[in-house]
Amino acid sequence: MSFLGFVEGPLFTVAAVVFVLGVIWKLAGILFLGIRPDYATPRGSALGGAVITNIRHLFPRRIFLANGGLFHFLTGYAFHIGLFILLIFALPHMTFLKDRIFGFGWPALPRWAFIVMAELALGGLLLLWIRRLSDPVQRLVSEPADHISTGLTLLVMLTGCFALQISHDVLRAIHMLLADLWLIYFPFGRLMHSFTFLFSRGMTGAAYGRRGVAP
Amino acid sequence: MSTQRKHRSFGLRAICALAVLAVFLMLNMPQASAQTSGRDVRPPDINSTTLAEPSGPSNALGDKSDSDFWRQIRRANPGKVTIPDRQAAVLIQSDGQNWRAVRTGPIKVYGSWILAAVVVILTVFFAIRGRIRIQSGRSGRVIMRFTLNQRIVHWFIAVLFIFMALTGLIILYGRDVLIPLIGKPAFSVIASASKQGHDLFGPLFLLATLALFVSFVKGNLPQRGDLKWILKGGGFFGGHASSHRYNAGEKLWFWWAVLFGLLLSLSGLTMLFPTVIPELGNLQLANLLHGIAAILVIAFAIGHIYLGTIGMEGALEAMTDGYVDENWAREHHDLWHEEMRRKGEIEPALPPSGGRGMSAPASGE
Repeated sequence: MSFLGFVEGPLFTVAAVVFVLGVIWKLAGILFLGIRPDYATPRGSALGGAVITNIRHLFPRRIFLANGGLFHFLTGYAFHIGLFILLIFALPHMTFLKDRIFGFGWPALPRWAFIVMAELALGGLLLLWIRRLSDPVQRLVSEPADHISTGLTLLVMLTGCFALQISHDVLRAIHMLLADLWLIYFPFGRLMHSFTFLFSRGMTGAAYGRRGVAP
Repeated sequence: MSTQRKHRSFGLRAICALAVLAVFLMLNMPQASAQTSGRDVRPPDINSTTLAEPSGPSNALGDKSDSDFWRQIRRANPGKVTIPDRQAAVLIQSDGQNWRAVRTGPIKVYGSWILAAVVVILTVFFAIRGRIRIQSGRSGRVIMRFTLNQRIVHWFIAVLFIFMALTGLIILYGRDVLIPLIGKPAFSVIASASKQGHDLFGPLFLLATLALFVSFVKGNLPQRGDLKWILKGGGFFGGHASSHRYNAGEKLWFWWAVLFGLLLSLSGLTMLFPTVIPELGNLQLANLLHGIAAILVIAFAIGHIYLGTIGMEGALEAMTDGYVDENWAREHHDLWHEEMRRKGEIEPALPPSGGRGMSAPASGE
């Protein structure tokens, strides 16, 4: 079996299993933590507060825009939107997912859109990481897990771009190897925020919503 | 009787007609012969106006010589095509040979000499001069030199530039340097990755260059005292050289980076989207300008990186923490230091865990 066959075959299967089981285990762990009972008479809907807070926090409040919030808003959305669109709609990804998992395909991005999304994702992540390293406060509150998650994601994206010509199996294999490592690391590092942000924002919103306030 | 006269008259007319025909053929024979064999004996036409004609031979037999025909092709004179791509009318784009000769000749050779010379000069300078220390030691007080936004823009373009420079040098010098070391198959992989990465990061580099201009242009315009700083060689000749927020060398680097950065970006975009300017000659010119600008910016950047890291004590922290020691400011940018002092912008350095002036100890070394 070739190295490419290994990283796209057995290693990918292991990585996917670790990813799925790890995410379920972590989310179940959070859900089974439970909530301390609140005996006060509710003045509003906890569920409504959770939903509204999640929606409202998609956009920064005006007061935060001046103090670096606009930078985070633009770079954060550029990176996340670019990454998710690439992940699902890039032609090589769609073909891989169709062949290996779903059995059916969907319309893929034209090449120009692929390039634009890659620029957004790479530029956004690079700027976010530089800010994390340049801002004294962010630098102090950052842990190795933050840098590992960011660096690994950047490497996966970068090697994907290196393999764009689709003419060398080695480049594709390196990209796939890093993608497998990314999947394996996902449940155990900061990448889990892809799922947990809904819970953390929801908890805050529910607590306030029950008091009749929508933060 | 009349019948015999008619026959004789007809015979005379036929003989006359045959005679006329024979004379006609004889008169035209040399011309026809010349037409069929003329290409073997005709001297080459070196008249430039003839060579510039946009057509090949006018008929199958050819009213021009083969050498003319091939000379026109060789000199990139366009023929006629019915497809939309008019460049297909040129069979051999002879300027491409000139482009290749310049790219693989002067640009590669002189470029490598320039880069090597910069490295050698800086190495010798470092060996002789050593690290430029803060002569009066650290003061324990700091001045903010670069804002957070300036630092982000600086590191963003720095990362992009180093990536673009490395991949660009692989594209330019890889065949000469890497193939003997790692072989063709491995180089093929590295070259493909470099090309894709270089192309992808190019548009980001343009945005970063524009951001660099906007963030740093204030203070980088020419000021009184810059010429004196240059004449004193930045302090190497004729004692201390006074400087504002940025000295003349830093200003030169700023404008060098911005202007050549824009030239790099625009020439790169021209090559990245070759259908926008469809003339092949423009693409070749863009490629040459791209190579020259790259060598010049990389050469200057090596000096900038040297002075910003190992070459000068106290310089790097300006870009990592945003603050510089007061004594560093006084020794290298005395006019700016005086301005900050008057404004009351000098602060005590925080202890190492505090973030501000993190690398500054309480007392001088």
